[in-house]
Amino acid sequence: MTAAVDQSFGEIASWQTMLDRHRELFLDMVQGSRIGFVSREASGILPGKRLEGVQVAAAVPMLAWQLENGTMSARIEDFSGMASTRVDLLLVADEEAMATMLNELDGDTLTVIKRLIRRGRMMFFVFKNKAQLQDAGYEDFLDSLGLAFLGACR
Amino acid sequence: MTRPGEAKLNHLFQPGHIGKFKTKNLVKYGACCVSNYNGRDGTITPRELARVRVIAGTGCGMITNQGAYPDPLGEGKSYFRQVAIHDDKFLPQFEKIAQYIHDAGAVALQQILHAGRYGGIDLGYCVQPSVVPQTLPHFRPPREMTKEQIKLVVQQHADAARRAVRAGFDGTEITSFMGYLLANFNSRFTNQRSDEYGGSVENRGRFMRELIDAIKQATPDNPLSVRLNGAELMDRWGGNTQDESFELMQQAVDCGVEMISVTVGWQEAPESSFGRDVEPGYWNFLSAKAKKMFPGVLVAFGNRLPDPAMANDCIRDGVFDYWEVCRPLLADPEMIHKAAEDRMEEVRPCIGSLNCLSRLFRDLPYTCTMNPMLGHEVEPEYHITPATEKKRIMVIGAGPAGMEAAITARQRGHAVTVFEKADKIGGNLAAYAANDLARPVDLQSVIDYYAVMAKKLGVEVRLNTEANAKFMRSVLHEYDACIVAAGARTDMAVFRYLENSELLIDALEVAHGRVKPGKRVVMIGGGMIGLTISEFLAKAGHEVTVVEQEKRIGGDIMPTFKWRHTAWVDELGIQTITSAQLTKLSKEGATVKTAKGEEKFIAADSVLVSSPRKANHDLFYEFQWMVDELHGGGDATVPRGLDAAIHEGYRLGVRI
Repeated sequence: MTAAVDQSFGEIASWQTMLDRHRELFLDMVQGSRIGFVSREASGILPGKRLEGVQVAAAVPMLAWQLENGTMSARIEDFSGMASTRVDLLLVADEEAMATMLNELDGDTLTVIKRLIRRGRMMFFVFKNKAQLQDAGYEDFLDSLGLAFLGACR
Repeated sequence: MTRPGEAKLNHLFQPGHIGKFKTKNLVKYGACCVSNYNGRDGTITPRELARVRVIAGTGCGMITNQGAYPDPLGEGKSYFRQVAIHDDKFLPQFEKIAQYIHDAGAVALQQILHAGRYGGIDLGYCVQPSVVPQTLPHFRPPREMTKEQIKLVVQQHADAARRAVRAGFDGTEITSFMGYLLANFNSRFTNQRSDEYGGSVENRGRFMRELIDAIKQATPDNPLSVRLNGAELMDRWGGNTQDESFELMQQAVDCGVEMISVTVGWQEAPESSFGRDVEPGYWNFLSAKAKKMFPGVLVAFGNRLPDPAMANDCIRDGVFDYWEVCRPLLADPEMIHKAAEDRMEEVRPCIGSLNCLSRLFRDLPYTCTMNPMLGHEVEPEYHITPATEKKRIMVIGAGPAGMEAAITARQRGHAVTVFEKADKIGGNLAAYAANDLARPVDLQSVIDYYAVMAKKLGVEVRLNTEANAKFMRSVLHEYDACIVAAGARTDMAVFRYLENSELLIDALEVAHGRVKPGKRVVMIGGGMIGLTISEFLAKAGHEVTVVEQEKRIGGDIMPTFKWRHTAWVDELGIQTITSAQLTKLSKEGATVKTAKGEEKFIAADSVLVSSPRKANHDLFYEFQWMVDELHGGGDATVPRGLDAAIHEGYRLGVRI
C-alpha cells in the first residue's frame, strides 16, 4: 500500500478547507513548520504496548500539515518512524479519534481534537523544546489544542 | 505538657519512629517543591539555608530536604537552580541543613532526585530507559540509557546517600514523583526496553530494586523512603495501571525499604492530582490500599490533603502512618504549631493556586500566593520587626491588599484602622470566590483568615464607610499614614461612546450578586474574572458567549490552572469569540467585530463587561495633600490579582 492513495484520513481537500478556516492559528508560524497525524493502530504506537513505532515503523500513512508560503497545507506522506520523519509535533490517534475527526472536519475540528487529547484518545509528542516552538510561532496552535506550553504539574 | 490541639489531634501528634529514629509526631515535611534558590552548579546558597531554617522550625517530626541531583553531568537535574549532591564539596551546606533539622528535634531525610525524563535541564537532552518523545515542550529530547549508564546512575545514588548520611542526615529518600527517572523505569509508558530492565513489571522494577539495594548497602543503618505512584494518571496513554503501581510498591517493600510514600500523577498526566479542583481527601483510597497491602512498612501520604484534622482522622482510621505535607507549610510554616495549640483558624491557608509550581516551570524561584515571606527569609527587610516610630495608619479598602497591609503593620506596633465601603471585608475576592467553580471555600478561607487575624491583633475595621475627600477632611488629623488599597474596577467608561451603552452591566455587580443577568449573556472580556463569572453563569443554566479582544482567552491565568478554565469553557458549552471587540449594542443583543473585519451579532438579554479593568487611583489625587504618608498597594496601583495584592500589602505593612 502506498500512503499517497490511502483513504484513512479521508479527503485531503476537506482537511485543507478546515486548515484554511483556521488560518489565523498558523499566522505566526515559520515556513516549514510541520505537524503530523498517524493512526495508533497502523503505526504500532499503541497504549500499553511498545512505543517504538515512534522511532521506527513500517511505512504507514501520515497526515502532514506543513506551512508553505504562509499557508498550512495538508498532504499524505509515509511515516516510517521518527528517524526518517521530520515533524515538530506528532499526534497519534486511535480508531475512535480518527473516525471522530473525520466526522467533524466541517465543524470545530480543533476543539474536537482538544477533547480527544484530553480523553486520551489521542496522544501527542513534541520534537522541539519550548523555546524552539515559541520561536517557530506555535503558541496559538498549542493553546487551541489545550496543550500546556510549560510544565503541567497540577 | 500536652497542648490543647495535640490532645484534640492525638493521632497526628503521637510519637512514631522510622528505623531506629524516633519522631515527635507523625508529620513528614515532604520534599515536594524544589526551591530554585541555589547556584546554577547546585551549590546551596544563603537564601536556601535561611529558607531551610524555617522548614526545620515547622514542627514536623520528620523533614525531607528538597531533592538533590546525584550526577555531575546534571542529567538528573530538573530545575535550573536545584541543589546537587554529587560531590563532597557540597557537604558543608548539607551538614548545616541536617544540623538545623536536628536542632529542631526532627528526623532528617535527604531526597535524591534524578529527574530522568524531566532532567538534563542545562543539557540538550534527557536520559530515559527508552526513547519516548516528550509531550511537554518544557523538557529535553530523550536519549536511551545504556546498561553501563544504568549501573553508573545506581552507583551515583548510593554515593549520594552515603554523602547525605555523612553530612548528618538520618536517612534518605528516592522518588518517582512526578514522572522522574525511577518512574520512567517503572512505567510502561517510558520503559520500552527489551533487556532485563524492560518488559514485565518484574523487569521494569529491576532498576528500583537495584537502587534500593545499592543505597541499603551504602547506608545499612539508615532508613530509606521511596516515593511511588499509587496512580500515574498516565494509563490512558499507555502508562501503568493502578494494579501495576501497587505491584511495584510490593517490590520496594520486599527490598526492605522503611517507608513507602504514595504519590499521584505525572507532570504530563492529562488530569489534576492536587490542583484546587481536586477535593481534599480525593486520593486517600490509594494510601489506604497501600496501608492494607503493606502492614509491615510505614506509609506516608499527603496528596491534596491540606488539613491536619483530616490527617489526624486518616491516621486514626489506618489510611496512612505519616501525613506528608509540603504546600500548606509553604503558605504557613507555623501551621503545625498552630494545630498543636488549637489555633487552626489563624492558619494562612494554602489555596492550591500552584503559583509555586507555575514559577518553577518558568525557571523562577518558587513563591507562594499566600506567604509573601517565602524565599525572602534571608532578607531582614522582609521580617516583621517592631516599628521605630509607632504610627496611626488608615487603610482604605478591606480586600486582600488592604487586610494584609493592616495585619502586618499592626504586628509591628502601629495602630491600624481599615475603612471599607461594603458591609463585609474581602473586596472583589469575595465575589470571585462566590463564583469559583473549583472550590469556593479555598478563596473564602483567605477572607476568613483576615477576619480572624484582624480581630486577634486588634485591627479596627469600619465597614459601610466610604473614604472620599469629605470623609478624609473629617479624620485626617487622626492618622499619620494612609494606604490606598481600594482595588480596581471595571472600566465601563471605555464604552461610553457606544450607543445604548447604558445597557452594559458591570460583571462585578453580577459577581457580587447585586444584579441578576438574563438567560442569554454576552461577557465582554475573557480573562480570569470574565471566565470565572461566565463559568458560574453557564453552570447555573445561562447561555454564555465570551468576547475577548486578545487572540486567546485566559491570558492572565497562571499556566497550571489555565487548562482548567479552558476545559470548563468547553464542558459548559460557553461560546468564545476571540480577537473581537464590541461595536454595537441593542436590547436584542451585541454586535462584535473580529480582527478579520467580520461583524457578528449575538442575541443576548444581558451584556456584561469584565474587562478592561482600571485601578482605583482617584483617591491618591484626592488625598495627596491631606496626609503625611500616602501609599498604594494591590490592584489600586495596577490591576493584577490575588498574588500581587497580598505581596504588596505585606511589603507595605512591613516597611511603613
